[in-house]
Amino acid sequence: MQDVPSLHEVSRDLMGRQRSRGSQALPFLLPAVSILLCFTIFPFLFTVALTFSRVSLVGGLKLQFGGLQNWIRLVQDDRFWNSLGNTLFIVAVAVSVEFILGLGLALLINRPLRGGAFFRTIFILPMALAPIAIGYIWLMIYHETIGPLNVLLERIGLPPVGWVSRRNVAIYSIIITDIWHWTPFMFIVLLAGLQSLPAEILEAAQIDGTSGWQLFRYITFPMLRPTAIAAIILRSLEAFKIVDEIFIITGGGPGVSTESLTLHAYYIGFLSFDLAYGATIAMSLFLLVLVVALSMVRITQRYQRVEV
Amino acid sequence: MWMRVFKAVFIYAALLAWSVFALFPLYWMVIASFKDPLAVSQGPTFIPWVDFQPTLSAWKAILFGIERETIRGPLVNSTVIGLGSTILVVLVGAMAAYGLTRFQIQAGPFRNQDLLFWIVSQRIMPPIVTGLALFMMLRVLGLIDTRTGMILVYTAFNLPLAVWLMHNFFQQIPPDIEEAALVDGASRGRVLWHIVLPVSLPGLVATFLFCLVFAWNEFLLALILTFNRARTMPILIAAQHSQRMIEWWSLSAMSLITIAPVVLITLVLQRYLITNVLAGAGR
Repeated sequence: MQDVPSLHEVSRDLMGRQRSRGSQALPFLLPAVSILLCFTIFPFLFTVALTFSRVSLVGGLKLQFGGLQNWIRLVQDDRFWNSLGNTLFIVAVAVSVEFILGLGLALLINRPLRGGAFFRTIFILPMALAPIAIGYIWLMIYHETIGPLNVLLERIGLPPVGWVSRRNVAIYSIIITDIWHWTPFMFIVLLAGLQSLPAEILEAAQIDGTSGWQLFRYITFPMLRPTAIAAIILRSLEAFKIVDEIFIITGGGPGVSTESLTLHAYYIGFLSFDLAYGATIAMSLFLLVLVVALSMVRITQRYQRVEV
Repeated sequence: MWMRVFKAVFIYAALLAWSVFALFPLYWMVIASFKDPLAVSQGPTFIPWVDFQPTLSAWKAILFGIERETIRGPLVNSTVIGLGSTILVVLVGAMAAYGLTRFQIQAGPFRNQDLLFWIVSQRIMPPIVTGLALFMMLRVLGLIDTRTGMILVYTAFNLPLAVWLMHNFFQQIPPDIEEAALVDGASRGRVLWHIVLPVSLPGLVATFLFCLVFAWNEFLLALILTFNRARTMPILIAAQHSQRMIEWWSLSAMSLITIAPVVLITLVLQRYLITNVLAGAGR
């Protein structure tokens, strides 16, 4: 009886053999890999080539090797440094505020609460909306004569603000819009993190009489940290690409005071039709995102190693 | 006792304050779509019937009147491109995720985890980087400003997300249920189609809806790659800006038409989002 392998053992064996034959996976992976090669990797390599090229559009598209001239121009271009600075500023301020507010809201709602599901639905709503529509919503709100914001300020006795027309104010208007749009993301990710924490540990600490702040500082937050890091990484990587709302609300203005890297690359590449230089600005954004992604992956790994 | 009451009041006050912040802009857009041009230009008014008389004229113009033709093309394009690319990305993503979870891959030094990372990491690629090259590429292929071109581009755009989500779902399915079918001589393709996909239907639906929302809302690539025939709702809305005076009432109605399906999807998805998708994200 023992010589006859059971059905389960046969199938285990079969699965094992099939698992080891990796070439069988090829037909399953081929469509995905070829789509990515055609529509992401190839265009990416083409853009890399563009950054080292001179492009002429006279009589059809012609590419000539142009050496480092686009990159040299980039380093000397004040407008590039301006859009890089704007992008970094928006990411730093918006992501920090979104994290703090998202964490606060998640902590508030992570308890038995009448109407909790109702509030949760309202809180995540802005995240799903089309950025273009969000841009217009806020353009209306910031409008200096027919918008509600300045009227409300006036009623409480404050002077009107040039939300989108003042140089040093406009970028904060963009940041407020981003906070409205993306705090929901931080909120939902951190709430999911809080809800997956082991309840026994928290309960044990509460029975021991740990105060609310101590509980958060020494128990909840350390356990939540991996989720928090993941949320900040994911949000930052997206925030670097900010363009849609700026396109609608300020168009990069006044002057170039709210121009982000993506918007700058778009203007140069498609409005000035300087494809090679537009590609170079876009590539600098890619390098920035890559460096941030790699360093954040390393930070995460180091943190995990310490933890283990 | 007083402490607890005080705490409850504080919590509800904070939740209510953020709700007002989150909802007021949407409220403003809704009431703007019911204002007539005069009510908008005379300065902000807040409450219908109290400080302005609501009118259906903007909605009538869009749904039955002069603007109907303007909005129809982009709405059809958005729907076709959104659904087409999402169906494609779910199919292709499911196949890739199945390949990654059920086989041991070894291509040179690369294994399953490396391949998964390679696919998922493409999500960080800024669209502007590929957009410039895609513009030239699609022009050469004759796919510029076509729905087919946009479907392919959005499929590539959503593929990393789809593969990542489906990979998580497929990992949770015990391989035991597939074993019997394999023993009976079913091919891997049949197992995926007849066993794995039906079992993971909730995950499939979630992935579908997520990708649909991203494709539906996408702006920059559509701005670069469409001009006229294939332009989508976000492009139509953005184009209202270039007019000398923005017609806020009709713009608001158009925007609301664009965001309405997504709001519905969010209401369906939100419970699912926390329990199934994000619960393991931190690990």
